[in-house]
Amino acid sequence: MDLTFSDSEAAFRDELRAWFEINDPGTMPTGDDAAYAWRRDWQRRLAEGGWAGVHWPREYGGRNATMTESAIFFEELGRARAPLPANVLGLLLAGPTIMTYGTDEQKERYLSPILTADEIWCQGFSEPDAGSDLAALKTKAVKDGDDWVITGQKVWTSGAQYSKWCMLVARTDLDVPKHKGLTYFLMDMEQEGVQIRPLVQITGEPEFNELFIEGARVPDENVLGGVGNGWRVALTTLMNERSGLAFFLQVRLRQLLDELIEEAAERGLLDDPVVADRIGYLHMKAEILRLTAYRGLTTIEKYGTPGPEGSLTKWMWSETNQELAQFAADLLGADALTTGNRWAYELLRSRGNTIEGGTTEILKNIVAERVLGLPRLKGAAA
Amino acid sequence: MNFDFTEDQQEIKKTARDLLSSRSSLAKVREAAEGKAYDPALWSELVELGWPGIAIAEEHGGQGLGAVELAILSEELGYALAASPFLATVTAAEAIGIAGTPEQQAQWLPLLASGEATGTIGSAGGLVPDADAAAVIVLIGEDGVARVLARAEAEVTPVDSIDPTRRAARVYAPPTHGEALGGDSAAAIDRATVVVAAELVGVAQRALEMTLAYVKDRRQFDTPVGAYQAVSHKCAQMLKDTEGARSATYFAAWAADAEPDRLPEAASLAKAAASDGGRDVTASAIQAHGGIGFTWEADVHWLYKRAQVDAALLGGSGTHRARLARLLAARLQPAAA
Repeated sequence: MDLTFSDSEAAFRDELRAWFEINDPGTMPTGDDAAYAWRRDWQRRLAEGGWAGVHWPREYGGRNATMTESAIFFEELGRARAPLPANVLGLLLAGPTIMTYGTDEQKERYLSPILTADEIWCQGFSEPDAGSDLAALKTKAVKDGDDWVITGQKVWTSGAQYSKWCMLVARTDLDVPKHKGLTYFLMDMEQEGVQIRPLVQITGEPEFNELFIEGARVPDENVLGGVGNGWRVALTTLMNERSGLAFFLQVRLRQLLDELIEEAAERGLLDDPVVADRIGYLHMKAEILRLTAYRGLTTIEKYGTPGPEGSLTKWMWSETNQELAQFAADLLGADALTTGNRWAYELLRSRGNTIEGGTTEILKNIVAERVLGLPRLKGAAA
Repeated sequence: MNFDFTEDQQEIKKTARDLLSSRSSLAKVREAAEGKAYDPALWSELVELGWPGIAIAEEHGGQGLGAVELAILSEELGYALAASPFLATVTAAEAIGIAGTPEQQAQWLPLLASGEATGTIGSAGGLVPDADAAAVIVLIGEDGVARVLARAEAEVTPVDSIDPTRRAARVYAPPTHGEALGGDSAAAIDRATVVVAAELVGVAQRALEMTLAYVKDRRQFDTPVGAYQAVSHKCAQMLKDTEGARSATYFAAWAADAEPDRLPEAASLAKAAASDGGRDVTASAIQAHGGIGFTWEADVHWLYKRAQVDAALLGGSGTHRARLARLLAARLQPAAA
């Protein structure tokens, strides 16, 4: 057991820190579009420095980083108070999925613009009637000459308004059981058949959208991984979703907690035993998250497959982030309930944490079934 | 970065698991609990294996291994719910080993390493494990300073704690008796605390496994009860609590030797997490077993009882959360500290 970074990991971190010293991302501008443009520009700078896709192989412009180095990248990104790159879905989901299933032509065409944020990607999986039960999706793709014609509706599509491409899963065969008959498409968002309607969330911001797809056309060459193989390809995308980001999130949680403790100190509240107890509790949970994320990393690096820790960190983070925001409201009173206050924002935004990227209930199903080996209830799925 | 045991450490864990599954089966634990007597053969065997001295320096007759190896054994003895003075003895040895004067170390460590004598550590006013038979008692005063006492220097009153798998006593000693540890009492207590946290992790792990076996087997409405989400989600929570306590405890065991500056925080983190986790997981185990879990006949209650007493030993989670808050405040405001 050695919880210090190896020489090469430390060197990676130091080089990255030195780069962040010179390359300050600056302050996020107000307004959704301006903020997005700023994050896009930030990714271009990361790409120029060779830091945009550290976990990508060198041949695609990455650094071939180990899992630990990738974790270090996200920790340092958080520590530098830099934003996630604009094309985070492209970097973490679309890119690796194309590397796994793409033809040489597809890799050549799509990977480089993902890295440079020249082409932004969004994820067209969820539908109004297919949330946790993804395989129940109804969007249809019908062959028409060399094209597929897509009809249906997608929802919770983050960043659709800025996206050039969509990772779209649609049903291409209605006569087979629901997990079969799905196909994964790379769909051009810039066409008449795709209409985007922003969905305003409880914070008042439109982070995600509904997609109305009516006769959108996708050429045959934009099928990824073969017709009828969409479930497997989609699982690859989903499996990529939770690694790496956990480290960015745990650092952000840590920063929020430290800032809250400072606020408590300024108000002279640290000696209050109730406040101290709560701070001790949140610190414990934040540390457990950090340490469990590192244990999970070791398990993957050493044994090649994720251990139980991997299923727990998203659950731990989302729960703790909500508890932290709720404690801020208790601690700061009226301030934390006033619109415009950052803690008021956290109080609202954190409610999404236990839903986005897999609800806590689904995570518990996954843990129960795949980690603990408990039997599945008829009709329920993990 | 390698947050996993070495091959040698894994071997220790496996050996302990295998050996204890027969030598300290739940039937034997029950026998010890109901007969209010430890199995002397078990203790002799642990002594023969050199386990009490695993982390005691070689110059004092121990094996000279570290806090991680000790935590591994403690976890496994907790998993087996072993009825023995192991925890009490090794925690006393940890305290004397890190903070005892050369005389204190020379006097007690060889006896503890060889198993000729047992020891214990505990708080004045708290339940002190195995104090009635201990040759040496490390007694923590209200001021946080620990004294080393030969048993004759203390008033030891055995009590029946709720955990009959381990003997307990109240200990009192007049202020003039015994001799303060030569070094930092806090460091001594922290090292002992990590060992208790490790035992709690083992107890929680056992409670989880027993529960999983039960809910896969027990059927109601023609379905294994473990298929119901009210039950399966509780089991998922038990895993989360156990693994969280494990992360914190392994970190603390590593820090104890590798980065002792971080031990105060790490030890409190581990004990807070393991106390909460141990109590919650064993309580859930009783609940998930339903009516049978509330009977004397089922074994889950031994785990709950051990977890409750361990959770209070060397400070409960509330005490350690308060300490974490103090440490954090001092770190964020160095001028005010």
